[in-house]
Formats: sequence, structure tokens, C-alpha cells
Amino acid sequence: MQSWRRRKSLWLALSASWLLLVLLGGFSLLRLALPPRPRPGASQGWPRWLDAELLQSFSQPGELPEDAVSPPQAPHGGSCNWESCFDTSKCRGDGLKVFVYPAVGTISETHRRILASIEGSRFYTFSPAGACLLLLLSLDAQTGECSSMPLQWNRGRNHLVLRLHPAPCPRTFQLGQAMVAEASPTVDSFRPGFDVALPFLPEAHPLRGGAPGQLRQHSPQPGVALLALEEERGGWRTADTGSSACPWDGRCEQDPGPGQTQRQETLPNATFCLISGHRPEAASRFLQALQVLAALQEMSPARVLALRQQTQFLWDAYFSSVEKVIHTTLEVIQDRIFGTSAHPSLLWNSPPGALLALSTFSTSPQDFPFYYLQQGSRPEGRFSALIWVGPPGQPPLKLIQAVAGSQHCAQILVLWSNERPLPSRWPETAVPLTVIDGHRKVSDRFYPYSTIRTDAILSLDARSSLSTSEVDFAFLVWQSFPERMVGFLTSSHFWDEAHGGWGYTAERTNEFSMVLTTAAFYHRYYHTLFTHSLPKALRTLADEAPTCVDVLMNFIVAAVTKLPPIKVPYGKQRQEAAPLAPGGPGPRPKPPAPAPDCINQIAAAFGHMPLLSSRLRLDPVLFKDPVSVQRKKYRSLEKP
Amino acid sequence: MCASVKYNIRGPALIPRMKTKHRIYYITLFSIVLLGLIATGMFQFWPHSIESSNDWNVEKRSIRDVPVVRLPADSPIPERGDLSCRMHTCFDVYRCGFNPKNKIKVYIYALKKYVDDFGVSVSNTISREYNELLMAISDSDYYTDDINRACLFVPSIDVLNQNTLRIKETAQAMAQLSRWDRGTNHLLFNMLPGGPPDYNTALDVPRDRALLAGGGFSTWTYRQGYDVSIPVYSPLSAEVDLPEKGPGPRQYFLLSSQVGLHPEYREDLEALQVKHGESVLVLDKCTNLSEGVLSVRKRCHKHQVFDYPQVLQARWFWEAYFQSIKAIALATLQIINDRIYPYAAISYEEWNDPPAVKWGSVSNPLFLPLIPPQSQGFTAIVLTYDRVESLFRVITEVSKVPSLSKLLVVWNNQNKNPPEDSLWPKIRVPLKVVRTAENKLSNRFFPYDEIETEAVLAIDDDIIMLTSDELQFGYEVWREFPDRLVGYPGRLHLWDHEMNKWKYESEWTNEVSMVLTGAAFYHKYFNYLYTYKMPGDIKNWVDAHMNCEDIAMNFLVANVTGKAVIKVTPRKKFKCPECTAIDGLSLDQTHMVERSECINKFASVFGTMPLKVVEHRADPVLYKDDFPEKLKSFPNIGSL
Repeated sequence: MQSWRRRKSLWLALSASWLLLVLLGGFSLLRLALPPRPRPGASQGWPRWLDAELLQSFSQPGELPEDAVSPPQAPHGGSCNWESCFDTSKCRGDGLKVFVYPAVGTISETHRRILASIEGSRFYTFSPAGACLLLLLSLDAQTGECSSMPLQWNRGRNHLVLRLHPAPCPRTFQLGQAMVAEASPTVDSFRPGFDVALPFLPEAHPLRGGAPGQLRQHSPQPGVALLALEEERGGWRTADTGSSACPWDGRCEQDPGPGQTQRQETLPNATFCLISGHRPEAASRFLQALQVLAALQEMSPARVLALRQQTQFLWDAYFSSVEKVIHTTLEVIQDRIFGTSAHPSLLWNSPPGALLALSTFSTSPQDFPFYYLQQGSRPEGRFSALIWVGPPGQPPLKLIQAVAGSQHCAQILVLWSNERPLPSRWPETAVPLTVIDGHRKVSDRFYPYSTIRTDAILSLDARSSLSTSEVDFAFLVWQSFPERMVGFLTSSHFWDEAHGGWGYTAERTNEFSMVLTTAAFYHRYYHTLFTHSLPKALRTLADEAPTCVDVLMNFIVAAVTKLPPIKVPYGKQRQEAAPLAPGGPGPRPKPPAPAPDCINQIAAAFGHMPLLSSRLRLDPVLFKDPVSVQRKKYRSLEKP
Repeated sequence: MCASVKYNIRGPALIPRMKTKHRIYYITLFSIVLLGLIATGMFQFWPHSIESSNDWNVEKRSIRDVPVVRLPADSPIPERGDLSCRMHTCFDVYRCGFNPKNKIKVYIYALKKYVDDFGVSVSNTISREYNELLMAISDSDYYTDDINRACLFVPSIDVLNQNTLRIKETAQAMAQLSRWDRGTNHLLFNMLPGGPPDYNTALDVPRDRALLAGGGFSTWTYRQGYDVSIPVYSPLSAEVDLPEKGPGPRQYFLLSSQVGLHPEYREDLEALQVKHGESVLVLDKCTNLSEGVLSVRKRCHKHQVFDYPQVLQARWFWEAYFQSIKAIALATLQIINDRIYPYAAISYEEWNDPPAVKWGSVSNPLFLPLIPPQSQGFTAIVLTYDRVESLFRVITEVSKVPSLSKLLVVWNNQNKNPPEDSLWPKIRVPLKVVRTAENKLSNRFFPYDEIETEAVLAIDDDIIMLTSDELQFGYEVWREFPDRLVGYPGRLHLWDHEMNKWKYESEWTNEVSMVLTGAAFYHKYFNYLYTYKMPGDIKNWVDAHMNCEDIAMNFLVANVTGKAVIKVTPRKKFKCPECTAIDGLSLDQTHMVERSECINKFASVFGTMPLKVVEHRADPVLYKDDFPEKLKSFPNIGSL
């Protein structure tokens, strides 16, 4: 009995301890005892190895390549690349100089115009010996004339065969080391980094100028179709944002969804257009499978906005005319010659593009007026005044004093361009004054003189009349718009129905599209553009009809910026500055109008009319406001 | 532990039959229970340290325990690498499908040890670096443990160093992976494709279509756009501590630090050094280092000793892409990810610009220079609560503006219904009323679907003083500056030197940096930015304070475009929260304090002061000129 009782108490103690053990430790023990299982939802991941510390490194000292000599790679036989097949030694001097083989026999009008366009470009050289690239045009599809092997062929070394349209001729000679620029090259024959791929150009593609992109607004219009899909024979199927794609299983049996097929030549109005190559069915399946629609819907408005603008920019900058396509090809080759000092990608990919941001000027974006914001920099706070003294040749003493009085003026350059001898004495100024003896040519005014040391140029005519505060205010405005011209006096272009051409007027109107360069701020880069990128014919035109030079300069800047110039207030209606300053509303001496046909000749050479009109003037914030003059910084601008 | 538990379970049933030995038995039993209790107790009090040191969901094993796989000598070998592989030919994008995060899913095969028929291992199981690499992938967002959902497969077979493996057998090991399928969508990492003296340029292991992330590619082995070229990791780099880059430009333009260069290359470099002097530095191995100095961490030029890699001057790139195995692994996956989801790809700038550069530079979302057509017109958005009478006057006035194309009333009052349709003024353009869910100021900047024009005029329900000319001119100015805020009264931010913070200024100043959005034109894209991309808690702050939504908009636009506002016309104030309030000065001061507070708050959230100060405003070309009023386009431009 006793033992039973003892046993009973023992039993009790045992079971109590047992219970405690189970309660306290059961779970922990179980967790230890059972192999660990992942929690539902949590992924298992790569194991943390217990002995990870003991693992050996993948390489032993001495195995890494930096300690060993690597033999140079022998050039691969057969195929060409830039290093092995192009001789850059001929191009070291002044960049890419191109010789074009003259056409043999009868040639088409297009061919002739393309030849003329290359001959007018800054790349052209007339001597094959001095050329770094020899260009062979091969583009006459109709005439059936096929080019034969040219004289200086030399196994094609440093040659570029330009085929704007798919090869019309059987190859009559081996291309050898010649680069080929052609539309839609095949993967088999295309040598990356050596050949140049061109877009497929329709026969009617404009030679120069070209239609500007059709994009008139930055963002897509609400409600336009999201996607247009190219179908056979020029049709387009548009799909809406509403049409849902198929469930994700890589297969999709039903109809591609609501949409409509339009038969039209032009691109439809859709946010995205998918061009399918030559197999629309394949593309259609590709679409369904990839659920492009869903992916496109997923694309953020910011991205859509950027892509829209980028495509238009690329079109305008490189593709809209045959001339641009050819110049782009040459620019690509020139970049290869320049190697590391070629255009950085920013210059290719943001407005105005590599054709208008000359790498001969600089390859550093901050030197151009276009990239300050992207670079996080600002134009420097000083300008150089460039005063042109044409006939009759009075030294502009008052003007020099007024300009030198500006705190932003860094230097004054006087461009003496008339028959009278140089005066020996010049006024004392706070800033350095340099006199350049010009060549009596009007185009000299826009020569990129190495003595100009600032980004900003204040271009002046000896007969201009400005006050110091006008200069100060205008320069401040220019700093906000460094890529534009900021001027005081304006003129306009207009379409003259009666004559079926462009007209020019310096009358005061509610809008303007040009500022006179006899008193205007602009970036010094435009001197380089004027001198080195304009066709020679246009510069000659300016020399022969001096008043044309204003129009020409405004054309260049507008073609680059695609924006109108900026007008700032011009204080006094000065009578003595009659040729420049229009007087009151009554009869007043007009500035000499450019030769009537000047604007039309320039427009023809540009291939389009780049000028744009502005309806505003930038005034000081308190300009002519009825508040105390003491508060105003630019009070002298308001004097009658 | 397992065993003891089982023993306990059987225990009680045995007791009655073992009377003689019961004493020993009980003692044993008690000690076991006691031990169990102590052990349990330890787990109760210490488990935290155990759990935190490694997650329970991560396997914790030794590398010695990984399963062994025997590869028969005749098991299949993959084809040699297919050199023609490109993303669209050899990669199966359909596996990746569409996913909302635009991230590929990466699966890692479990670690195995491969041996041949004789039990001799094929390679080292895994190196420290490869383990680290797989761990980095496993910890990243790319990782999935579901092999069926994966789009990219990473074998755990370590091929980082070709010298440590048997080529044929390693290839056989690859071929028997469960999803191998000719290597489609498999990614191999290799840093040392061979050893000195004749390094190969790519891994020799036959790998068929598998992608290779390799160090040391040449143009002959690299498959353009398919393989990924990665740096060769140096185990020594883990301990490198780089100095911050000092101010000013870099000391060297060109620096070569590689030792063991081919003599011809070295000659070329040295010629460059002779030509360019100080700006070129060519380093080599040091020959005269004192004992104990790690030679791999030093480079020499003549007798000058430099710390390596500190001398390299490229800290950001080094840290972002070279320094660690993790950086190399994640950059590789990002590159592949960008190819598969190109529309969500990381931009050039994001790859290349150190984050600090972003403060200065901007990439304007409306970068294409465009002057939107006048015909598009603008949408006026009137935010209103319950001032119906004033609202109706505003509607009537605004409807007189020629370019108005739609009027949107944002009814911000949830307690009251808008007036019946018949009571609204009859105007010539569509009028829509949008009711909001909450009375928030942010509602004025919501990108409503009803906005069909790019130009938006935000206007308060009490702005009745603006003339039709003034508004039309404002729209014209916006067309010339579509990426800016174009408004009427201007305001300024100033730095308060005494308080050491920003101050809001509404006095007569010669400068402006903000415009009030009580009436302002802007691009509708900024509504999207305001609603979805406003940094920090600014939106909530505005709604909580019921103030400063205009300052927030000014900050946002200036920050994203880097450009100043355009103030139009002399207009100085609308109504008078700032001057003629009922209790005058005190309210005025409270208002100013609150507005100043907003500027300081926003500047701290943006991390910078994005507002730009300018001294100009836009007026019509002939504003206040001596010119017949009736010939001016905008004669009635209003007053202060």
C-alpha cells in the first residue's frame, strides 16, 4: 500500500514534470528534431553554408591576368573591321575630307542633286589625293547604268559605296575593303562597326530640308489608339487600350481583340506603331504572346512622352531628307576617325543633334549653348562685344564707352572692315580692346575669331546705339536663353501670296521672327556654324548682298533651335541711329531692306522655312509700371 | 534528443514489471526529465540569438553534405557555344512573360557535387566567390525558388575559373540539369577562361546556347547583345578603401595601371606620355619595394610609388560595378533584364552618372523644342468650394478668351451639390463639372481625363479681374514656353541671412522666381507629376495646411526642367490675402510666415533650392510703345 502510495506520488511527480516538459519544450524540440521546412510563402534561397568561410577563392595569386603578358590578337582574316581596313592617317589633318567620283554618262536628276549637295558640304574636297574618304554613289535604279570600278579603287581601301536604294546592279567588282552604306543590309554581309546601315528611303524622299516631324504636341492626345499594327499591303490595325490581351500562357486562340483595319498610306494616329517587317501574321502572334498591349499600358507617361519626342527629334535631325541621311553617314564615319574625341552620345541623342553640334568646334557638351541644363552648368557671366566698322569708317567711340561700361563686358573687339586706315588711338576702356583688320567682307562678321574668349558675343554695328543698362538687361536675358539670339530690333518674314514667295518686312508689327545682328547677343558657337557648316554659295550671297547676312544668321539659329529669337526693349527712339532704329509711327527712315530675293534664295538653300514668329518681348519686371522709379533697376530703359 | 523522447514514451508501461530495478530506473527517468527541462529552458531563453543569426527559412548545411552525382563517361555533352546566338534567336523571352515589376525571375539550381565513373570529382564544389555570387542573386528581387516560373537559370556548377575544372565532364554536368534544353536561358559566370601564358577569351566548356557572363572576351568570342562582359573580380579588392575625390578636375587625363603589358602597347603609351607630359601617367610593377609591402597594392612610375587602386580616380564606377561580387552579379542581371524589358530599362544616365551629379543637371521631360499649334487651345480648370456667384462670373469672363477650348469646374465641396445644369452660364465651349471625394487643394492639379489639351489654365473661382486679352496673351506666351509655368503675379524667394533660412517675398522687386497659380498656364503633364511624382510628403503637407499648392507646383516644375517661370504682364496681385485683409497687418504677417515655412519645408524635401530667379517678364511686342492702340494685338493688357 505504502509502495503503491509512494508509487502514486512518484507517478504524479513524473506526469507533472512530463507535462511541463511537453509544454515548455515540445515545440522547440520538435522544431529541432524535424528537418527544417520552409515557411509557406517564404522562399528558400541559396543556403548559408556552415563552412562558407572555409571555401577557397576561385583564383590563386598570379592567376589574374594583370600579372601576365597577353599576346596581341592577330587581325582576323577575311572580314573587315575599322582598324584593319581603314587608313586614318590621311584624315589626321582637318577631319573627314570626302572626294566624290564624278558620274559617268547620263545620270538622273536625283543623282545630280545629291552630287551637288555633297560638293557643297563642308566635307567635300575636289582632289582624290587629299581625300580621306572616296565616295562612290551607286543609286540609279532606273537608268540601268551600273558603276564600273573606279580608278583609285585600291582594293576599296578608304572607299564608301553609298547605296540609297537596294542594290539595283549586280556587283560588277569586288567590294573588298570598301565600306558599304545601304538600306536594310542583310545580317550576313553587314560588318558591324564598319559598314553603315541606312533607313530605307522612298524614291520621293526630299533631297534637303524635308518635312518636319508631324508631332505638334508633346504628349499623346487622350483617346487615340494605343497601338497600330502594320498589316499586309499598307493597312494598319489599331488596337485600343481597352482591348485586353490573352491570358499568359504563350498561346492565344481568339481574335486579336477589338480593333479596326484602316487602309491608308500614312501612319495612323496611335501612341505606338509596330512595324512588323514582312510577316504580319508572325508579328500578330508575337504581339499576343508578348502581351505588348499590356506592356505598353504599363509604360509610364514619362516614358511615352520621352519616346514621342525622341522619335521626332531623330527624324528631324537625321532622316527627314536625303541630304541629312548622307551627312549622318559621313558624320558617323568622321566619329570613327576621331575615335575617343568624337561626339559623345549626349550630342547624338539630344537636340539639335550631331549634325548641328560640330565636333570640330568641341566634343565637350558644356562648350555648346544647348546642353547647359543637362550638364548642370550655366553660361559664364561675361560677354565679348564685337563691333563691326564698315564704311564710312567712323570709330564708334560712344558705343565703345557704353558697352565697356557694362559690368559683364569682358573684352571689346573692333572689326575694322573699310578702306580707311586704322585709327592709331582708341578710347581708354576698363576692358581690353582689340582691333582686327578685316577682309572687307560682310561674312567676316561671323568668323570664329580665336580672340573671342567668352561664350557670349554682343554683335554690334558701329552705327548702333545702346545704353549700358540696355546691354546689361539684354545680357541677363541671354543667360536664360543661351541658345537663342537676343536682340533689340526686329523684322519679320511673311508669305507673300501675290508673288508666291517669302517676303521680308522691318515694319513694326505685333510679332517678329528675326532680330537684327547689328545689336544682338548670341553664343559664339554660331560663328563656327556660320563659317563651317553653311554651303559656300550662301556665304557668297551674304558677301554680295550685305543686308542678307541678318536673314542668314537668323535662319541658322532658327534651324538649330527651332525657336524664335527674343526681343528686349530698346529704349530711346534714336534719330541718329536711323538706319537701325525705326522711328515713331509716322514717316520714318526704314532700315535698308535686304535684296528682295535674298530670303527666298536662303529658304531654297535650306530646303524649308525655319523661321518662327514670337509675339512677346521680355521686359524688366517693373517695366513702365506706375511705381516709384527708385524701386526699378533698369529705369533708364523707360526714358522716352 | 530524439532518442530520449522515445524512451520516455515507452517508460510508464514498463514500470510495474521492473520492481527490483525500480530505484535505478526512477533515477534515470528523473534525470532524463530534468535534462529535458534544462534543455528546454535553454531553448526558451536563448533561442533568440540562434534565430537571429540565421533565418529559419534558409537551409543550414555543410558543403561536405551536398548530394553527389555520378556522371557516366558517355553522358551527353552540349554543343560548343553557338557563336551566332542573339537575344532573339537563342533566348526564349516567352519564359519571362509580362510581369508588372518588369523584373526577370532567376532560379538557382541546388548545389551538387559531380564525380566521374571513378568517383573523382569534376571540379571544386564551389568557390568562395561563386557562393557569394549565388547568395547575392538569391537575396535580390530577381530570385525565385519556383523553377516553373523562372526565366533565367543559373547553374550552381562553378565555372568562374576554367583552370580548376575538367572541361568535358563539367559540360556533361551542365547537360543533365533538369531544364538545360540546349542551354536556353541559362547563365554561366566565368572570370578566368584560361591561364597564362595563353589566356583564352571565353570559357572553353561547351555550353551551346547558354549566355556567358565572362571576363576577357574578345570581339571574336563575344556575342553582341547576348553575352555580358563582366570585370574579373580581384579578391584583394574587398579590403580596398578608396579616398573621396578631391575638388577640381582630375589630375590625369589618361592613366594606365596594368602591369605585364605587351611591349608594343607599352611603347605606344610611353610615347603618349612623352607627348602630353603630366596629364598622362603610365604605371608598371614596382621593382624596389621594401620587405612586407604587398606588391599588388602598389604601382610605380620610374621611382615614384603609387597606392593601387587608389590612384585610379574612378571611385564611383569602381564601387558601383567592380568592387564586389555582388555588384558584378547584380549589374549582369540588370543588363539582361534591360534587354528583356527594354521599355523599363535603366537609362544611360542612371548607369553612368554618379548620384551626386543629378543635383545640378536636369533632364527636361519636355525637351523637344515645339510650339504647339494655337488651334489646340487650352482647358481652364476652376477649383471651387461654394462661391457660386463668383464662380459664374469667372466662367463668363474666361469663356470670352478666344483660345479656350473647354472649361472644367472642380467641385471640391462634398456637403453641397453643384447648382443644377440650367443655372450655369451658357458658354460657347463644353463645360464639365468634376466632383471630388475630399476637399483637398491637390484636386486642382489632378490629371483629369477630361483634360484634352496640353495647355491647362488653373484659375481660382474669384479671379475676375483678368482681361480676355491678358488671358489670351498668357496662352500665347505659354505656347512659346510650353515647359514652363506661365503666370501673372510673380513672387520671389530670398535667403534671410539673419534667420539663416528662406523667406517668401511679395514686395515690389525686380526679380521673380515663382508665379501664383491662382491663374497660370502650364502643360498638363505637370498635373501628372504633381499627383504621382511629387517627392516626399509635400502633397500631404499642402493638403494638411490648405496652403502653398502653388509654391509646390513652382518647385516641382523648376526642379524637373531647371528653368525659371515666365511672369506675364504687369499684374501684381489678384485679391489681397497679402495686403488688404480685414484685420490687415496681422493676417498678412501670418500668411507670409506660413508661405516662408512652405519654402523651407519644400527646399528640405527636394534637397536643393530648384527655383530660378530672373529679372524679366513677358509683355506683348508693342506693349506701351508709341503705336496706335487699335493696331496692337493685345491692347487691353490690364493693370497692376
